[in-house]
Amino acid sequence: MRRDAFYSVHPAAAMLFFVIVTVTTALILHPVVTGCSLIAACAYAVYLKGGKALKFCLCFVLPLIAIVAVLNPVFNHAGATALFYFRNGNAVTLEAVLYGVNSACMFAALTLWFYCLNCVMSSDKYVYLFGKTIPVLSLVFSMVLRFVPRFVSRIREVAAAQRSLEPRLKMSPVRAVKHGLSVIGVTVTWALEGAVVQADSMKSRGYGLKGRTSFSRYKFEKRDGALLTLMLVCFAVYAAAAALKRIDFRYYPTIRAAGCDAPALAGYAAFALLCLIPLLLNILEDAKWRALRSKI
Amino acid sequence: MYSPNESGAERRRISRGGLIAGICALVLIAGAIALGVAVWSNRKFYIVSMLVIVFAMIPFAVSFEKRRPKPRELVVLAAMIALGVAARAAFYMLPQFKPMTAIVIITGAAFGCGSGFIAGAMTAFVSNFIFGQGPWTPWQMAALGLIGFLAGLLFNRRDGRLPGLLPLCVFGALSTFFIYGFIADTSVIFTSYEKPTWELALTAYGAGVVFNLIHAAATVVFLLALARPLLKKLNRIQIKYGILE
Amino acid sequence: MACIKVEDLSFTYPNGKKRALDGVSFEVRRGEFLLLIGASGCGKSTLLRHLKSVLAPHGSTEGRVCFDGRPLSEVPDREQAERIGFVFQHPDDQIVTDKVWHELAFGPESLGWDNKRMRIRIAEMASYFGLDPYFDSDVAELSGGQKQLLNLASVMALSPDLLVLDEPTSQLDPIAAADFLGTVRKLNTELGITVILCEHRLEEAMPAADRVLVMEDGRLIFDGSPRGAASALFRASSPMFRAMPTAARIGCPAGFDEAPPLTVNEGRSLLASLGLEPKLLPSAQKKECERRERLRAEGLYFRYEKNSADVLKGLGVTLYGGEIYGLVGGNGAGKSTLLSVLSGENRPYRGKLFSNGKRLRESFGAFEERIAHLSQDPRTVFSKESVKEELFSAAQLRSSDPEAAVTAAARLMEIEGVMERDPFDLSGGEQQRAAIAKVLLTEPEVLLLDEPTKGMDASVKAVFGDKLRALAGMGIAVLLVSHDIEFCAEYADRVGFLFDGSIVSENTAREFFCENTFYTTAANRIARDTYKNALLTEEVTELVLSERKRS
Repeated sequence: MRRDAFYSVHPAAAMLFFVIVTVTTALILHPVVTGCSLIAACAYAVYLKGGKALKFCLCFVLPLIAIVAVLNPVFNHAGATALFYFRNGNAVTLEAVLYGVNSACMFAALTLWFYCLNCVMSSDKYVYLFGKTIPVLSLVFSMVLRFVPRFVSRIREVAAAQRSLEPRLKMSPVRAVKHGLSVIGVTVTWALEGAVVQADSMKSRGYGLKGRTSFSRYKFEKRDGALLTLMLVCFAVYAAAAALKRIDFRYYPTIRAAGCDAPALAGYAAFALLCLIPLLLNILEDAKWRALRSKI
Repeated sequence: MYSPNESGAERRRISRGGLIAGICALVLIAGAIALGVAVWSNRKFYIVSMLVIVFAMIPFAVSFEKRRPKPRELVVLAAMIALGVAARAAFYMLPQFKPMTAIVIITGAAFGCGSGFIAGAMTAFVSNFIFGQGPWTPWQMAALGLIGFLAGLLFNRRDGRLPGLLPLCVFGALSTFFIYGFIADTSVIFTSYEKPTWELALTAYGAGVVFNLIHAAATVVFLLALARPLLKKLNRIQIKYGILE
Repeated sequence: MACIKVEDLSFTYPNGKKRALDGVSFEVRRGEFLLLIGASGCGKSTLLRHLKSVLAPHGSTEGRVCFDGRPLSEVPDREQAERIGFVFQHPDDQIVTDKVWHELAFGPESLGWDNKRMRIRIAEMASYFGLDPYFDSDVAELSGGQKQLLNLASVMALSPDLLVLDEPTSQLDPIAAADFLGTVRKLNTELGITVILCEHRLEEAMPAADRVLVMEDGRLIFDGSPRGAASALFRASSPMFRAMPTAARIGCPAGFDEAPPLTVNEGRSLLASLGLEPKLLPSAQKKECERRERLRAEGLYFRYEKNSADVLKGLGVTLYGGEIYGLVGGNGAGKSTLLSVLSGENRPYRGKLFSNGKRLRESFGAFEERIAHLSQDPRTVFSKESVKEELFSAAQLRSSDPEAAVTAAARLMEIEGVMERDPFDLSGGEQQRAAIAKVLLTEPEVLLLDEPTKGMDASVKAVFGDKLRALAGMGIAVLLVSHDIEFCAEYADRVGFLFDGSIVSENTAREFFCENTFYTTAANRIARDTYKNALLTEEVTELVLSERKRS
């Protein structure tokens, strides 16, 4: 994974970014909004993970778009412009096709934003964000993440140990299930034994005393403030344009878009800028590094 | 120190807290449906339902936090959640065969409805954290949480007796097929379509039937094999070390 | 002033017939380094747990424990959490959170420190314990030794006055263990922290301690200086004496039981002062003609991922029936990997394996080829609710008379007494033997063991070593991967040194170790100037004694 400038942004700002972007994307079906969001999400994902993200786009997101885009006109017959008719008399309309494509793209954009969120929001950040409001649950979250890799490697170890004690027959599904179940049983016994020690270790370090605090490694810097302001301003401009009904798009019965005047353009631009914030931050930082290096 | 009476009292308190939380959740869900019907246009519906799902989980979280569970209960709960996520590794050759739901049910039955909900929701959250969050995360959290909650409500006995295997399996099959399946399929419809038609819904549910059947079958198999030994082990550890002391 | 004062402490577990602690009294001064020793199951852990209220086991307690002049029950939990630090045996089990920084912050968070104070303390801890490179890492990425240091650091984050350590190094390799003990020692000398350490790896701990307590069956049988402990145990011919440092075990019988040497260095000076005549032990006859090749590997190459580094690089090794082969080497040299390749769990990408002279297929089954592999944790092979069921499930696959086979295996491993118990409730040594009994019932010709003596005390180890000899006597080829040089020297017939993915030297145990300078037994390091090829404490003792008698 590439070094990501947005990764070092304060978790609250980063989380707010993802919330705003996903909610606004999901809230409205508008080709320009969906398009901006999809392109920005795609670009950021590829910036973060390179070929891996590209593969994810091609293998998962594209087929998804195709399926939803095809399914919609099959079930949705609203719209005035009939393209052709099914045998049962239902029409496949242009509006339904375009609508399907739009909603599929929206779904893809959401998926990709979540893909980016997975890269940016490490467990530390969730623990930090929820540590103050729901301290016990955020601790449980951290504990679970500590357990999972241990369990997975233990399960593999036990499976290998038990397999070597048996004749190597062909693994039928029934045998595979039986084998897996016995492995899980052993792992649970082992895990519960360790759990007792872990609880002792927690008690020994004062867990359960009144007034537990939560350590924060994050400082809200000026840069975070600036980013947050930019984010909110962009969102406000976009929201204003939307509230003024300048960002409106109607698919049924006939396609009709709100006019392309100054407020609308400002709204689109603000939304595009909002979506591009992580990428722009990275580009800026890369440029700065190049400049620093060329000076040397 | 540890005495069975105290732990009994503690458990009843948990159940009551969970019950209140459950009623709140049901009211909120009903409100959501009403709201959804009222503003049945546009994509507001999707956001409204999503928000309600998130809100519905808050009372559970609050009652869990308020209860201040003891370290041992926390650790064992975390271990069970992790097991639900990690158990996939034991069935790497059967990808559709997920033990998650069964383990959530067992946890609910062992710890009561409040912890059952937390176990379900947290299992879904962590599993998605590891395998990739998506728009479906809140839906899955709610679905598994609800299953864990119901399991606690139905099967958590105060006297420490093990629940019958048959009712457990029946519940497992029904809850997996109807609750989890329904919520998961609905989330797909709501996320991708503005105006879900009945026709569309039927097709989506129809397409999900096979997956949901496999999932339900897996849950039953896992419950059959794991419920008794796991509940016995959890019971034993509760007695041996007085988890709820 | 006394930091801890234990007065006539007795304790019985709820359904225990015997007292786990019986009238224990002692005092620990501030800044003292106290070592608590005793055989497995003598009540050491029970005693240590009484030093902190939240850890005290349930049961009936008499007598009392005072901390800083007050009864422990009157010291508030908050103060105890802060001032009494506790480190447990298993490094993995005590870690609560998934990140190193979070683990360090756990104690301060519990006590409700503010962020600024935590930030300073955590930074201090991370750099003092050398954890700063891993500060952001997942705990899962640390090695066992680093995990235990993390546990120590996260306890020290609360700056306790008293540090209680319950067998903290038993799960670590010797280098990590020495590192850990060194850090504890540093905390004691540099910061004046009172240390109570319970250990059975005494070679380094004894010389470091100010005072030693010896426990036996819940009673304190000795309280005094480390040298005094060694001499008292020698004079009482206690079985605990075999756990003493090698220098003391050589020095005491040689007549220096008044003030026995404790370190290798002291042992060397003592032998030098005796003016002994150099002597060579006869090297063991190689039984070349009798031994039969069981498993042979040629030019094995293996790596885990296509793009990762090779773990095994052209490794070749031959295992003979009736022979115990000890494989030593540092961490990450590929010892465990080699076992997984020899047992068919992992496939080499180059190289050949032969079983009884016949080339093995690429995907061979360990069971079919009669190769048994026991991983570091013997509990991985258990899947039933009693030892008996465990053994039967294995016996049914091979034997026509499982009943008789189970009885024989149980007798051989001396686990007849625990047949009805849950394998998870057995002691470490019993678990190891039960696991081997189960594996034996698959009638293996090759037995691959990974660190079997981890966590065993001296007497349990001796019993285990005898069992291994018995197995070899049955014609089984035993491969023993171990960090435990003393054990390999005593029980292995041949020893190989695995370094950087291949075996760089291989010889009979005696030749192998006496050629090494660092990688050899303590007895050899003490006596090598006089008795170049003496490896075992008993050998050196005997040579010294016979010499002293003559003169």
